[in-house]
Amino acid sequence: MNGGLYTQLLDLACGLFLLAAVLVLWVRELAVIVRIFALQGIALAALAVLLGAHEQRWDLIGVGIGIGLLRAGVLPYLMRRALAAITADRQRYGTAVAESRETQPLVNVAASLLTAALLTLLAYAVARPLTELNPTPATRALPVGLAVVLIGFFVLVTRRRALAQVVGFLLLDNGITATAFLATSGVPLIVELGVSFDVLLAVLVLQILTTRMREAFGTTDIDDLRELHD
Amino acid sequence: MSLIPAALATATALAGAGALAGCALPYRQRVPVVGVLTAGVGAGGCTAGAAALSGSRWSAAFPGLLPLAGAHVAVDALAGLFMAVAGAVVVAVAVYGIGYAAGHGAHGLGSHSAQAVLPLFALTLVLVPVAASVSTFLALWEVMALASLLLVLAEHRERVSVRQAGIWYAVMTHLGLVLLLAGFALFAAQTGGETFAALRAGAHTVSPAVRGLVFVLVMLAFASKAGAVPLHAWLPRAHPEAPSPVSALMSAAMVNLGIYGLVRTGFDLLGGGPAWWWLGLIAVGGASAVYGILQAAMASDLKRLLAYSTSENIGLVLIGVGASGLFAAYGNRPLAALALAAALLHVVNHAAFKALLFCAAGAVLRATGLRDLDRMGGLRAPMPVTAGLFALGALGAVALPPGNGFVSEWLLLQSLIHGLAVPGVAVAVVLPLSVALIALSAGIAAAVFVKALGVGFFARPRSTQAAAAKEAPRLMLAAMALLGAGCAALALVPGLLGDGLDRAVDAVGLPGSGAVSDGGLKVRLTDVSATLSPLWVAAALTTALALAVGLPRLYGRRRRRVNARLWDCGGGAPTPRMAYTATSFAEPLQRVFDDVLAPEQDVDVTPVRESAYLVERVRFQHRVPDRIEHRLYEPVLRSLAGAGQAARRLAGGSVHLYLGYGFAGLVVLLLILAVGW
Repeated sequence: MNGGLYTQLLDLACGLFLLAAVLVLWVRELAVIVRIFALQGIALAALAVLLGAHEQRWDLIGVGIGIGLLRAGVLPYLMRRALAAITADRQRYGTAVAESRETQPLVNVAASLLTAALLTLLAYAVARPLTELNPTPATRALPVGLAVVLIGFFVLVTRRRALAQVVGFLLLDNGITATAFLATSGVPLIVELGVSFDVLLAVLVLQILTTRMREAFGTTDIDDLRELHD
Repeated sequence: MSLIPAALATATALAGAGALAGCALPYRQRVPVVGVLTAGVGAGGCTAGAAALSGSRWSAAFPGLLPLAGAHVAVDALAGLFMAVAGAVVVAVAVYGIGYAAGHGAHGLGSHSAQAVLPLFALTLVLVPVAASVSTFLALWEVMALASLLLVLAEHRERVSVRQAGIWYAVMTHLGLVLLLAGFALFAAQTGGETFAALRAGAHTVSPAVRGLVFVLVMLAFASKAGAVPLHAWLPRAHPEAPSPVSALMSAAMVNLGIYGLVRTGFDLLGGGPAWWWLGLIAVGGASAVYGILQAAMASDLKRLLAYSTSENIGLVLIGVGASGLFAAYGNRPLAALALAAALLHVVNHAAFKALLFCAAGAVLRATGLRDLDRMGGLRAPMPVTAGLFALGALGAVALPPGNGFVSEWLLLQSLIHGLAVPGVAVAVVLPLSVALIALSAGIAAAVFVKALGVGFFARPRSTQAAAAKEAPRLMLAAMALLGAGCAALALVPGLLGDGLDRAVDAVGLPGSGAVSDGGLKVRLTDVSATLSPLWVAAALTTALALAVGLPRLYGRRRRRVNARLWDCGGGAPTPRMAYTATSFAEPLQRVFDDVLAPEQDVDVTPVRESAYLVERVRFQHRVPDRIEHRLYEPVLRSLAGAGQAARRLAGGSVHLYLGYGFAGLVVLLLILAVGW
């Protein structure tokens, strides 16, 4: 693969990656959010495979494919199942629409998008000295990973639905993985395996918690949980 | 010279073995094995210290031992003096501890944890003066604080008050560490190196304001470790509640390290400073001396009394150190050397008699279960050896000849009196004032120890426990006799320490004063010279005493002695309730110092229900609270508690809020990074 093509493909993957994160903020329908998250997983996998192909390291390509399977396949499947469980028995009461939509985020969509722009700017500003250390195409794309970390955190802070929270957490984790790939040109297989396993378990636990929450309170709005204080 | 590293390596190895033995061995073997190994640690430290005092030096660096900076060690005569003192105290107290913990049950001092920590504490006491870089020093300092904290807490199952004492001690010692860390970090950042050599070399390039700030921070930390007023609050709590051998170690060895740190930083690393540093130190010392001994006079808990007396003696040492710095600041170096020698000699003397006194108090506590002087009495008959040794220690503490405390206080007073030759208004005001304060504290100290000895050991037993007391085991008596011999040697032939003391003073850059030599004490200044031979003083006193007792006997032999019942005015035989108690003995003093001490009295009369004139019960309560603690600590604690209550509002319970805190923190940090670049 020649250098120009590699750079363009890498930039494309990173662009998709960031765009997916911003779209999560824009869209209200939870089912669509899950689909966007799967798209981001594909972008992340493409990123890893591209890096692997560029440096001709087969283990990196393997890691990339594994990431793709997990983040674009298994995790979205689990979340769709949780969503189906939440909405299924609610349809007869006519509240299913409210449960499957992020109707009232703490910060409205327009402000969220503006904040995302600011956070991306911040990520670029912070990462500048890092990029200057070794300006390759991969490190130049480093701010994208940081921006997704910040946007994921922002989703966690502002979204009410439990499932949106799970997506926020996964965005955060995707961002960290992307940063690791771009900064170090590939994490060892064993580390990535551990991280992926961790994420899978976290999502499984959160899925169960979400279902339980709905059973106990009839809603998955986490702002109703206010007992956790001194 | 390879003696110092060999001795220190042996001490370290023995401490490691002791810690393992404390963890692993069953109770019966644990106490003697750990005791012997700990004594070995002390012997190693003492040997290394003695070698350093006799003139050898050693320094080394171990790059791999601590992360990033590595460990640096160096031994000079100043470090040697404190190592030797700590080592000697550790030897005696470790032997004492075997007798103390044996047969006392596998809880408290005999437990696995306490026995495992004891050798480590002993090791850090010996090793703190060895450190020659900031990180090494702080690491050892913190291990020492933690080890002593665990030992203070050893008897937490027996008494609730132990836990409270532990909390006070933990908080204050860590606040001290924070100050120390801040001070040393600032100093190291300004000089560009963290080894003591780099600090010493770079100290003159630091601006005076920063040097002053470093000194104040470090002084507060070390003064709090030394137990100086007003940072003493932990001391009268922790020392009584710790097991007696631990009290002895803390009061006779650990507290000294505060003085060591002060001398090392103030004189050696910072290379001396302006007069206001030292005037502040003298003020702290004077306050400690008088306030400490006043509180000791009011205390009726024997170990609390000894703890406050530690505060007093540290105050005297601080006056000496401050005076030395003051003289050096005005350029009178021989006088500065004399004052510092007096202060260091007082450290040695205080360690000897205070270890002995705490051990004797521990023997009483073990035999009777009592710390309250009001309920003791009459212990001289069942515990004659302990009583004799306590008397010997008390003689050292009252600063009268022929006790060992007298020797150093005489030197201290000499240096202060001759200091009037130094020009300056501050000096002319402060020096006479501190002479008066020392005299006052010495006078009250006499009353304090008359009270401790007379009320505790003489008269008749005032409780069944005191009446049933038995003499301490042989091992404890032997260890106390060792300390007693040390006290006697320091009192009679302080000249043995002379050269070492000169080298220690010399190590901080002041000329050796030759104040203590074979012929006794000498003060040789430009136009004054004074000499005092403790041996001759003791001989003269003994002769006078022999004459005073013997002559009337010879003269009055003809008169027949009749044994008859004491004339009692018809009141019946005297009962123990007629004797002085500690409280009643201290009452006149309390009246004199009423304004300072502000005692609290509470009389509660409950009449019979039928008639207001018939009294059913009268309750009388009398307390002498620590006033500084009331005025200084309670407002701080209250405001802290208030802030804590207010901070609860931050935790509203919303998950979003908690996540928001994290997010805001991260973004602000990144913003600072981004803007700061």
